[in-house]
Amino acid sequence: MKIPLKIMILSLAAVAYATQISAQNKYRNFTELSRKTESLAKEYPALCSVKSLVKTAGGKDIFVLTIGTGEKDQKPAIAVLGGIEGNYLAGRELALGFAENLLKDSGNPDIKQLLSSITFYVFPDISPDASEQYFTGLKYERVINSRSTDDDRDFVSDEDPYEDLNGDGIITLIRVSDPAGTFIESDDDRRIMVAADLSKGQKGSYFVYSEGIDNDKDGKFNEDGPGGVNPNRNFTCNYEEYGQNSGYHAMSEPETKAVADFLFDHFNIYSTVAFGPQDNLGQPLKASEKQPEFTSFEQGMGRGVGMGMGMTRGAPREPVDRRITAILKKDEIINKLVSDKYHEITGAKGAPSAVQAPGNFMDWAYYHYGRYSFSTPGWWYPVEKGKNSEVAFLSFAEKNRIPDAFVPWTEIKHPDFPSKKTEAGGIKPFIMNNPPADTLGYLISKHYEFITALAAMHPELEFIDTKIENRGDNLFSITLKVHNRGIFATAAEAGSINQWTKIMRMVIEPAKGQTLLSGQKIQRIQRLEGGSTAEFSWLISGKGSVLISAGAINVGTIKTTLELK
Amino acid sequence: MKKYKFSSAALLLLLFLPAISWSQSYQMFYKAAGSPANPGVQASWNKYYTNQGVADLCSKLAKTYPDLVTMETIGKSFQGRDIYLLTITDKKTGIHSQKPGFWIDGNIHSIELQGTEMTLYTAWYLCEMFDENDFIRKLLAEKTFYIAPTINPDGREYFTSSTVPPRSGLAPRDNDRDGLVDEDGTDDLNGDKEISLMRIKSQRGNMKIDPSDPRKMIRVAPDEKGDYELLGYEGFDNDGDGLINEDGPGGYDGNRDWGFNWEPNYVQNGADKYPFSFPENQAVRDFVKNHPNIAASQSFHNSGGMILRGPSIRGGGSEAYSRQDDDVIERIGLTGEKIIPGYKLLTIWKDLYTVWGGELDWMHGNGCFVYSNELWTSYLMFYDSTNTDQYEFDRLLLFDDAFIPWQKAIHPQYGEIEIGGFKKTLGRLHPGFLIETDAHRNAAFCIYNAYEMPLLEVKDITVKNLDGGLKEVSAAIENKRMLPTHSASNLKYRIDPPDYVFLDGGTVLSGMIVDDVLQNRTTEQKKNPGRLEVNNIPGNSQVYVRWIVKGGSKFNVKVESVKGGRASGQSK
Repeated sequence: MKIPLKIMILSLAAVAYATQISAQNKYRNFTELSRKTESLAKEYPALCSVKSLVKTAGGKDIFVLTIGTGEKDQKPAIAVLGGIEGNYLAGRELALGFAENLLKDSGNPDIKQLLSSITFYVFPDISPDASEQYFTGLKYERVINSRSTDDDRDFVSDEDPYEDLNGDGIITLIRVSDPAGTFIESDDDRRIMVAADLSKGQKGSYFVYSEGIDNDKDGKFNEDGPGGVNPNRNFTCNYEEYGQNSGYHAMSEPETKAVADFLFDHFNIYSTVAFGPQDNLGQPLKASEKQPEFTSFEQGMGRGVGMGMGMTRGAPREPVDRRITAILKKDEIINKLVSDKYHEITGAKGAPSAVQAPGNFMDWAYYHYGRYSFSTPGWWYPVEKGKNSEVAFLSFAEKNRIPDAFVPWTEIKHPDFPSKKTEAGGIKPFIMNNPPADTLGYLISKHYEFITALAAMHPELEFIDTKIENRGDNLFSITLKVHNRGIFATAAEAGSINQWTKIMRMVIEPAKGQTLLSGQKIQRIQRLEGGSTAEFSWLISGKGSVLISAGAINVGTIKTTLELK
Repeated sequence: MKKYKFSSAALLLLLFLPAISWSQSYQMFYKAAGSPANPGVQASWNKYYTNQGVADLCSKLAKTYPDLVTMETIGKSFQGRDIYLLTITDKKTGIHSQKPGFWIDGNIHSIELQGTEMTLYTAWYLCEMFDENDFIRKLLAEKTFYIAPTINPDGREYFTSSTVPPRSGLAPRDNDRDGLVDEDGTDDLNGDKEISLMRIKSQRGNMKIDPSDPRKMIRVAPDEKGDYELLGYEGFDNDGDGLINEDGPGGYDGNRDWGFNWEPNYVQNGADKYPFSFPENQAVRDFVKNHPNIAASQSFHNSGGMILRGPSIRGGGSEAYSRQDDDVIERIGLTGEKIIPGYKLLTIWKDLYTVWGGELDWMHGNGCFVYSNELWTSYLMFYDSTNTDQYEFDRLLLFDDAFIPWQKAIHPQYGEIEIGGFKKTLGRLHPGFLIETDAHRNAAFCIYNAYEMPLLEVKDITVKNLDGGLKEVSAAIENKRMLPTHSASNLKYRIDPPDYVFLDGGTVLSGMIVDDVLQNRTTEQKKNPGRLEVNNIPGNSQVYVRWIVKGGSKFNVKVESVKGGRASGQSK
């Protein structure tokens, strides 16, 4: 986002659901967010309901809003999630702001049309224990929930928190002048500390730590503060056993398990949009040349049930690895398309720095949940390749008049370094990941437009080329095609092999007195790409009306009645 | 005449006195080596226990041996059945949680019924032999057994009261992804509580009846014409989707549901939503987490005659294997091959198949030494690996008891068919007369493994006077068994605290670990020297500790290890 924000607002292109800019201009704490969430359900009782799935260790509700019409849980659906990681506060506003705008616009014919076919599940914040740290007490970028854990595996829990040594209410850094130090001031911006690079002949003169004291005297600073598990490290995909804040095991936390259970139980969801550090909207993912080996449903039947007798030690068998490790080729196309749409609608330029992390939500939603999974921080600043991101941020902050981004280094007294010059300072917490509050309204509106545009690409089935041929002697042949007239396939390619998606079925129900002579009564329909078709035919004896239905819960089921006469 | 009278009085007594005192006074039995002659709890081992039977035997053991056994429920199954656990140790010699613990479970897979009999026999044997065998008495003084006879009571109930259960428990699942759960399982077409095979007379058939045994179907040679087609397991297409038995009860695998190296269903068949999706496994997880003294474990499965060890995926997963641990695992496993003839020590990924999210790896990752035995092998039929003919075995030793003769039946889709084949009690399960033998051998393997869990002793406490009235107190801590106090995974993830060595007496000025006794090389522990931290005490070895002390005359050295138990010693 190199263009100053105000200019960007003026250059807004016309989009399908262009609306007023949202008035949101502050970050809301848990109470405010919850109150708004609950009030939406009261304000729009026909369209919206709210449910608390579980309470976190910190006693906070995980809310989900269901927005749609009619039989909401039976229609294809998109889940929108904020608070993926506790220090990405804007995501909470983008998620709830989406729900607010959608409901406010529900009288608009386009939105009305959309809500008649698609349901939205909106989770405003799945990390409420962590995000609340911005609003209460000491301000530091917290990502972990309130479960007390032994983060540094020293058999004591929560014994080394941050301390506000300069009394400014926020946690930044401390630097200690020391000839053995490993850090120096950056040449590009003297305020920023960078690791000394011996290959450039640099020698360090500072140690740099986060602001606080070494409470447990283990040489590490603030490594085990209050709380314990980061929900965005606790999902099953690439989960790191006993990793940093990853929890006792994957999905060990009430909030991650509740969110996953809700999503698993809602087979109608075909896509997720998450606001957090991971990104595939700024920069779409690349498929790998090597495509994994899959076993089809029929082939897979009964696998692993039997067990051979008389196994012997010997040469190892070559194990088949069925894990998917990169986006699949068909899904890559959709990701690219959606990413282009994202840039087009939001006006965002470039992409945020890629943040790889084990056990994150975005990867889980694609690889283990098998849905079209999208994620973005929703806001970022430009960093030229190979440049220091903190230096880049400070220059961005200056150009965009973000005030007081940096706490100047000032000398403090530090009990661990009584004889060494110690200073506190550094970039303020939160501001590198979260836009200024007065731009929230604009970002909410743009992301609302983006999500509705994304939803408009949903898969949609129709019957085409229906032919009934009367072959005499009460014999009729029927042929028809099932056509996906949407852009998205009926399931993500990664979902087609996943137990937690449904397989489309084609069912023909002859009337009384009719007999099916050829063709199956129930059959599976393989995954249909956007714009593609599958053809079916039957031979029936007897006059009367035949009911044909096709689909699955995640694409909708279409029905037609054919008169054989 | 007199003699007769006496006998009738004895018979009267028999009616009123418990059997045990009668058999003791009248010597009905003579002890066979290695088995109890007069067990306090009568049990026989040529049949399978139902859930009721399991509960009954467990509570009898707890009632009869209150100084050894505690029975509890560690959780409920999906259908609400209790998951029982027996804690067995000599309570008079110490609290169970302060001794190294050995975990045993059975029957995680519903069809693997006899795992439970192995666990029950082990519990029963330990109790019954405690009074008459020194080795068992010492073992229960030093170690604790945690025995969960079945961690899948729903599957057991299904097996023992209904037909052939799924591999899993009974939480409904949509295996064919059509939006319906459990709608097309096998069907007991002839109502005999068995699911056997279906065959149909057919011109296109590629099978024929074996001329030497009419029970047996054999494939025809290329130059022959068959007259039968095999149609799979008993059942029909309940939901009319063209597939038979594709979505029966349950339909997952409880042993792909654990928290290490977990992968989803398309990678690992049988995996559910995430690790610990099922209440049975959650119960085991919570118990094991709350009993960190569990240092080794054994699970019972069937079949194939295997003593399985990890790793379960190539190169190992997140759990760690050190060379030292590997040597211990091999040594114990190979001794197991001697204890249980016909069983082979095998590595899961290499010799069997890849398993993601198995119980064994989770236990291993949490610092245990783990085996999983695949019970029953066709070798046991004739003690001959070249003759594994079930038909002959059934005829000569079971007198056709395990075979259902082929009988005509009407199938809703196929019309007239025949149903027959082996009962669910043969193939993967022990026939009655072989249960006790294998139970004893598998129990002996558990006992041997449990014996090799750490046993610590504080030795060689010496006090040396230094200048200035100071004293140097040295001690050795010996681990007298094969397992270390900390496995490689335990050290990698810092699951348990280090072993703590305390000095009582005088004022500790300095404490140190002696890294090299011969060269007198030491590492001082500056923080809290009165409680020295030893990362690991390897099997059959010693670590040395030393303190510089002011004052004191009697010194007490105490070691506390989570998985190694406790010990102490006093200076002279």
